[in-house]
Order: sequence, then C-alpha cells, then structure tokens
Amino acid sequence: MSELPFVEVRRLRRVFDVSKPWLNRMLEREQKQYLTAVDDVSFTIRRGETFALVGESGSGKSTVARMVVGLLPPSAGEVVIDGVPINDPARAAEVRALRRRIQMIFQDPYASLNPRWRVERIIAEPIRAFHLSASAREVRERVGELLTLVGLHPADGAKFPHEFSGGQRQRIAIARALASQAEFIVCDEPTSALDVSVQAQILNLMRDLQDRFGLTYLFISHNLAVVRHMANRIGVMYLGRIVEIGGGRELFVKPQHPYTRMLLNAVPDIAMTGRLREAVQGEIPNPINPPSGCTFHPRCPFVFDRCRREVPPLEAGVACHAVAEGRIAAA
Amino acid sequence: MTQPVLSVRDLKVEFVTRRGVLKAIDGVSFDIAPGEVLGVVGESGAGKSVTGAAVIGLIEPPGRIAGGEIRLKGERIDNLPPEAMRRIRGKRIGMIFQDPLTSLNPLYTVGEQLVETIRTHLPLSAGQARRRAIDLLAEVGIPAPERRIDGYPHEFSGGMRQRVVIALALCAEPELVIADEPTTALDVSVQAQIITLIKRLCAERGTAVMLVTHDMGVIAETADRVAVMYSGRIAEIGPVRDVVKRPLHPYAVGLMGAIPSLEGQADRLVQIRGSMPRLSAIPPGCAFHPRCERAFARCSVERPSPLDRDGRKVACHLYDEAQAEAAS
Repeated sequence: MSELPFVEVRRLRRVFDVSKPWLNRMLEREQKQYLTAVDDVSFTIRRGETFALVGESGSGKSTVARMVVGLLPPSAGEVVIDGVPINDPARAAEVRALRRRIQMIFQDPYASLNPRWRVERIIAEPIRAFHLSASAREVRERVGELLTLVGLHPADGAKFPHEFSGGQRQRIAIARALASQAEFIVCDEPTSALDVSVQAQILNLMRDLQDRFGLTYLFISHNLAVVRHMANRIGVMYLGRIVEIGGGRELFVKPQHPYTRMLLNAVPDIAMTGRLREAVQGEIPNPINPPSGCTFHPRCPFVFDRCRREVPPLEAGVACHAVAEGRIAAA
Repeated sequence: MTQPVLSVRDLKVEFVTRRGVLKAIDGVSFDIAPGEVLGVVGESGAGKSVTGAAVIGLIEPPGRIAGGEIRLKGERIDNLPPEAMRRIRGKRIGMIFQDPLTSLNPLYTVGEQLVETIRTHLPLSAGQARRRAIDLLAEVGIPAPERRIDGYPHEFSGGMRQRVVIALALCAEPELVIADEPTTALDVSVQAQIITLIKRLCAERGTAVMLVTHDMGVIAETADRVAVMYSGRIAEIGPVRDVVKRPLHPYAVGLMGAIPSLEGQADRLVQIRGSMPRLSAIPPGCAFHPRCERAFARCSVERPSPLDRDGRKVACHLYDEAQAEAAS
C-alpha cells in the first residue's frame, strides 16, 4: 500500500459574495461584501481512516465538505483525491471516473431523498448512472443486497421515503452511498437530526461498514463526543480556519489551542467528572467582518499584541502564537 | 417536609384524531421541590414537551388533559378557566423555549417587551419597570444593558437573545420555570453559558425548574433529579447521578450507553434495537417490551407500575421480581 494520502486538501479557500443587489448598493452607496467561509485549510486523509472536522456553526466545516466532494468550486487551493485534482478541467475524464468512488451523506434524511421515488429507485440511481450493472435483475438484486447490508429488508425497496423513520432514512442514504461502491464518503452531520439511540445505531453501522469495505470517511460534526467516538484524526475549525489538528486521543487529552481547550471545557458531558468550568467568554464573531490577526483573539485568555496583528500559521498541528512561543503550559 | 412547588399526579394527555385517540402522556407523576431542577429526558415523541405544555396549560385542541392533577404549591391548576391560567403563566410559571427568535416579538424592542411583562404582573410604574428590566438584563449577562434595552431582537445574537428570553421568564419572580430545550438551538460554547445562567439564577431565587431536553449532557450537568420518559410514561425517575451512572430501567441503561462520551472511548455504542413506537401503536403491557433484551412474559401483558428502588422510582417488572424473590 502506498504511503500517499488518499485525500489531500491543499490551502483551500472559499469566498462568498454576500453583497446586496446592485441597485441597493448604488442607492445606499455600499461596497460589495464578501464572506470568507473557508481560508487556507489543508489536511490529508489516509485510506481507511476517519478524519473529522469539528466546529461551531459558521466555522466553515460544511463548506469544506462540499468542496471536497466537488459540489462547490473552491476560490483557491485544490482537492486531490487518489492523485487526481478534482477541479482540474484538463483531467475531466479521470475526475468522472473518480466521482463514482466519492459519495456524500447529508444531515437531513428528510430532504436528501426524493419523496416521489421508491427506495429501490433511489438506491439504484448511482448503479444506473455509473453503468455498474447490466440487467434490471442484477440491479434489483444489488439493491436488495444493499438494503440488507444497512439493516433494512429487501422488501423495503418498494416503499417511499415517508414510510420510514429518520434513522431508517439515514440507512437508505448510506445504502445509496454504497451503491456505487464508493471508497470515500463525506458525511455532513449524519446523525445530528437523530435521537441518541438511533444515532448509536447509525454510528455503529458506519463503523461496521468501514471495517468491512475499508471505507475512508470525512466526518463533519459539531458534536465533540460523536467525533471522539468516530475519528482517528480531528481538525478543529474556527471561523473558516483549522486552529488545531491532531490524533483523536491527543486532541482530547492534551488540547493545545485555547479554542479547543475552551470547547472541551464547555461541552456538557454525561461523564459527570464534577470538574469546575471556566466561564466561556463571548460568542463567535460575524464572519463578514472577522477580527484582525488570529480570529480567536477577542475571546482568548492568552491574547497579546502579536495575536491582533498576525494570523498564526498552522505549525505542528496548532495555529496559535502563544503555543508556538511556549507561553501556555500544556493542558 | 417542604411542599413541592409543582406536583403532577397520574397526568394523562390525549390527542383526538380521525384515526382514534392518541395517548401522548399516560399516567405521569412527579414533584419538583423549591430550588430543584428536574430534568425530563427522552427521545422525540416520548412526551416530554407535552408534559411541559400541560403544566403551563398550553394543550390546545385536538389535545386535552384526560386525567390526573397538576398542582402549583398545592393549588390545582389543570382545571382553571383559561383567563385564570393566563394570569398564572408568566407570573407564577415562567417559560423558556427552544428558539429565542420565535419567543420574542420582532416588532418591539427588548425593553418594551420586558417592561410590558413586568407591568402586567407587578404593580410598578413605567420608570420602575424599566429600571428593573435593565437590572435583569445585567443579571443575565448582557453587556451595556442601558443601551441594549432599546435594541430589537434581531440586533442580538442567538445566545444573547436566549438571555433576553431568560430575563423575560424571570421578570415576574415566578415560582416555577419550564425550560423546553433551552440550549438546543445554540452552539456548544454558548450552551454552557446559558445552562450555568439558568442554574445560578434559579438557585439564587429558589425557583423550581423543569428542564426538558433530549441532551443527556445538559441534564447531567444541570439537573438535581431526572425523569427518563418513554412513550408518554416515566421509565425511571431519581437523583441524576444515580440514573446516569447506574441506570436500572433497561431503556435508561440503553439510552445512557448509546451516548458517546468525551471521557474514555467505547469501541461500540450500546444499541437499542428498533425505534420508539408511534403513538398510534403503543404496545400493550410495558411500552418498551418489544425492544427490551430482558423482557419476559409478564412484560407484554401487564403494565409495570413505578417501584421504589435505590432511592428512585422504576417502572419495570424486573425489579418487582427481585422484590418478590427477596420477600420469599
């Protein structure tokens, strides 16, 4: 097996134009407004690994996910999957072949399945689109096999999505993702809309499938406990940048970046260690007009002059001047 | 023994539909003492929000309270006429809902809404009420309240809005606060601030709190006691530490095991097979028995009544069997 990473994201950046309409701008004499949703994000994922991005709303994690699967073109930077840059028009044929191997599971299982299609048609769509099976009978067999694989019954294929509960719909979405024999699945908050007992079923299923097919996951979530449970490596995002990246265990046991520490300290958890919480300071600033330098500096207890001026680079897994200069003791 | 602020006995709430009567709440009983936080957890459809709505008298047709009693400081409130109930709401029972944007009127400033609520319930002049509103905003941690009081809800961030809603809920010094998923719409770093705030303010005032949420983490850190609901019934109720650390009811055991924790890493999460039954198809006997690993014959026939066990109440035949064995 090669040591080359399966997925490589290099200096990804995405800017959205959030200006008012032209006429309003003229009348109100306003400039165009831009929102930098993702800025300078780089990471790699090895084959068979689960890499997670965590962050609060507005941190840009879903935007990264959409760029990685190619639903959204990046403003700068590139995504390379198995050696193929997915936004390179010169390699369109290779990219098309790659598409089959990349799938996505979305947060809302009520919105991501076509309500007018029967489940068998939903799951068969990727098989047909990529010409993976020749005959209708083969397709039907494959659909039945996939339904069984995700814990449903082959006869469920004749039903419509509304006949299923949220957890079952997410199983259908997983079956659809597997239909094209995907190797890399991007999961954007796959269990956030589900109840905890159903969430446990889906997370267990995702793990079983990973063991069985050697799947690679990019797992997006705001839930730190879920991420800890699922991921080998984790990137913590804040206002469009990765502030800390590291192995799951190290990150949770020895968080470095002040934001990671704050998050871990703030999450209500059932472990009831009885630890005292430090009061969390402030809220996420407006991403249209982010703070200068390190965007976390207005909330950071370790802030000093340099943080207000310079954006800290991601070095040794942490983007923080104070950590780089050794001014914060390890947690 | 002090009198409980809220006492609910054998509460039943039904929804009449074309396809028959759905029992959303079926025989729920609990008490909340002054200054106590009772957490109510359960998955979607377990009836936790309906329980909250019944207490504040906000069950609207086709729903109806079909039986049982709700007492506020000993006085029955479930059969009050709507006008009398309206006076209790806001004055004696404060409410905090999930979405702070829908609980605030977007057309009025935060100050106008606070002053109106204060003056409806307390005999204060406009000036005094405004003074009190500013104090309250300061107390819930809104910076520069003298200035912010004249802002509109859209000018506040989500966390700040929820603070305003808390100020509104507390402005008439209620005896009981019903908080229905107060932190669900908020980011984690803000969530912790809001939980701490609710807990501190209520402890200071001796206000009883009924905290409805699906988030066990929030309950574990906030509540004194917790009620685990399943299909409109309480499966287990007791001190939060016991129920979270050593749950007795098989559903509670499954629920706690299903939650990934930040501490330690389980390889697999506990899985409860199936999902909660629909209200139209609640199984006979114990509602949980088709999903229960430990179910036996009696579970599918006879509904378990709450048994006292290790300082809590558990509605499960397993513990009745244990009692019977111990007695023999």
